[in-house]
Amino acid sequence: MCRILPEVELKKGSNIMVYGPTFSGKSIFVRSLFRDLTSEGYGGIYVLTRDSAESFIEWLGEYYDPEKIKIIDCVTKSMLGNARDTDSIKRETVMDLTGISAKISKFFEEFWRSGVRDVVLVFDSLSTILMYMNLQTVFRFLHILTGRVKMTGAIAFYIVEEGMHDEKTIVTLKQLFSGMIEFKEENGRKYVRFVSPFKKTEWSEIAVDENAVVVV
Amino acid sequence: MKVVTGIPVLDDMVEEIPEGKVLTYWIDPEVEGNVFAMQTLFTNLESGCKCAYFTLTLSPEVVLSEFEEFGWVVGSYENFTLVDLYSPYVGMPSTCSLNADPSNRDAVDSLVKKTIRENDLVVIPISSMIDVCGEEVAELLGEWCETAANSGSRLVFTFVSWPYPGNVKKMVANRSNAIVKVGGVHHRVILGYYYGLVKVDWKNIKSRAILFKLVRPGGVRAYIPKILVTGPYNAGKSTFVHAVSTRAISVDRLGTTVALDHGHLEYRGFSIDLFGTPGQERFDPILRMLGKEALGVILVVDSTKPETFPRAKQMLEEVAHFGLPYVVAANKQDLPDALSPEEIRKRMFLPEDVPVIPVSAIKGEGVYRVIDALLELLTGSWQVSGDEFEIPA
Repeated sequence: MCRILPEVELKKGSNIMVYGPTFSGKSIFVRSLFRDLTSEGYGGIYVLTRDSAESFIEWLGEYYDPEKIKIIDCVTKSMLGNARDTDSIKRETVMDLTGISAKISKFFEEFWRSGVRDVVLVFDSLSTILMYMNLQTVFRFLHILTGRVKMTGAIAFYIVEEGMHDEKTIVTLKQLFSGMIEFKEENGRKYVRFVSPFKKTEWSEIAVDENAVVVV
Repeated sequence: MKVVTGIPVLDDMVEEIPEGKVLTYWIDPEVEGNVFAMQTLFTNLESGCKCAYFTLTLSPEVVLSEFEEFGWVVGSYENFTLVDLYSPYVGMPSTCSLNADPSNRDAVDSLVKKTIRENDLVVIPISSMIDVCGEEVAELLGEWCETAANSGSRLVFTFVSWPYPGNVKKMVANRSNAIVKVGGVHHRVILGYYYGLVKVDWKNIKSRAILFKLVRPGGVRAYIPKILVTGPYNAGKSTFVHAVSTRAISVDRLGTTVALDHGHLEYRGFSIDLFGTPGQERFDPILRMLGKEALGVILVVDSTKPETFPRAKQMLEEVAHFGLPYVVAANKQDLPDALSPEEIRKRMFLPEDVPVIPVSAIKGEGVYRVIDALLELLTGSWQVSGDEFEIPA
């Protein structure tokens, strides 16, 4: 089990959608959770579609350990065609879903073979992929990916921007996930809650800075 | 002009891609299978064929750099054409003279046909086309194949088998004269990668699977799967390896193995290498080293000596670290005081899903059942089967 909020623990194999408006704190929330779990011994795979690997590593600072943290950078390659891969950083493009899928799978294998059984995967964010590819294609991709997460007993978070997609897209995506961490902003205050078929928490107020999200 | 696949072992099987034929690489979504088509293209480019490559999800610059990663500088060949359906799709100016907007079905159709007529070999990523242009694009395949047949060109399709509707998969399979499945050996994670010929209509060939690795630079390299045979001292590992192998060698001193047993086995279309480790604790580092590379483990136990089971469990824990599937060979079942497989399961606290197979390695009884059980554990996808295709008789 993995605690993500004071009242919420996730089972292994969970696929969680992280949903909310821009600047509501969801990306910082997921990043800091990723940082905490990897520093506790989890293997981490972070898929970036909006920032480069280098800027994420800068954010991680002293917590960056290439043995434990693997990054799939879907930004740099489309800007610099000749960006090279390393053992822990792979470059793909947002439209190459097969490439992203194969690299995630390879990292899962590496963790598995080195005896690391607890793995956290973050997809930051699905909204960028949905800007380039149609819903059906993204659904097929996620069908395979969420299945792999269940098989390996990992925990995965997928960030989706509120307001960027129509109702049908959100409803379709929700079918793939075991729960949702939802963010909202009201009167300048930010809130978070967890929703799944079995649990729904109350909205909790949060404080967000550039390094962490704290439930007030 | 002879056009080949350029893939190790595969060329020995199919010899060539004849004029007018379509070869499809049918790729597991979690495997980097596109490299197969890139290697086929480059091999023929080098031998002077006119080759064209369509891109939909990568910019022309990224395509060229991906080829270069494998040591294939395709951009320097005059007989190479890159057809760009990516740049118009994302609204960027194309650097390629041949380009079209994939949302314009007619423009794509006529560009594909023109490219087929002007080249000896054309690589088309069919699944990317379906993803970007829609499933209706599969209906155009018939005419493209006909154009290839009439102009004496050859088509290589890459088809990533995402969960598309069955009729789409059937359409692609039915239009292919040859299908090469590029898959993963699925356990909890993908432990290895294989390819195998599922269908070919110009040769009568018995299918076999070949494991591969991708080498940068170099491309697709075939390799032989390693199975680790381990177990306590005097459990009968060497006898097992010799009983099951078509050829085997052991490094012995005073009648016991002090280095390795090595056996080779041709079985169910696979070439398999068996590595037996010595049972004494001082050789455990060898066990750990081999565990990193192996695909599966056979644990041989002496059914008449339950006092060795704790050591057997300890050896299993050494390799369990690598997360490999394993089978227990309950050896020496020909002896009167041998425990039954169920009794061994109970005493070793083995989970129900671990096969415990009764074996008499010295008589060669049950040894292939052990191999069968291990292959079974590596899941059905390890077998090259045509189940997901509608293969015409």
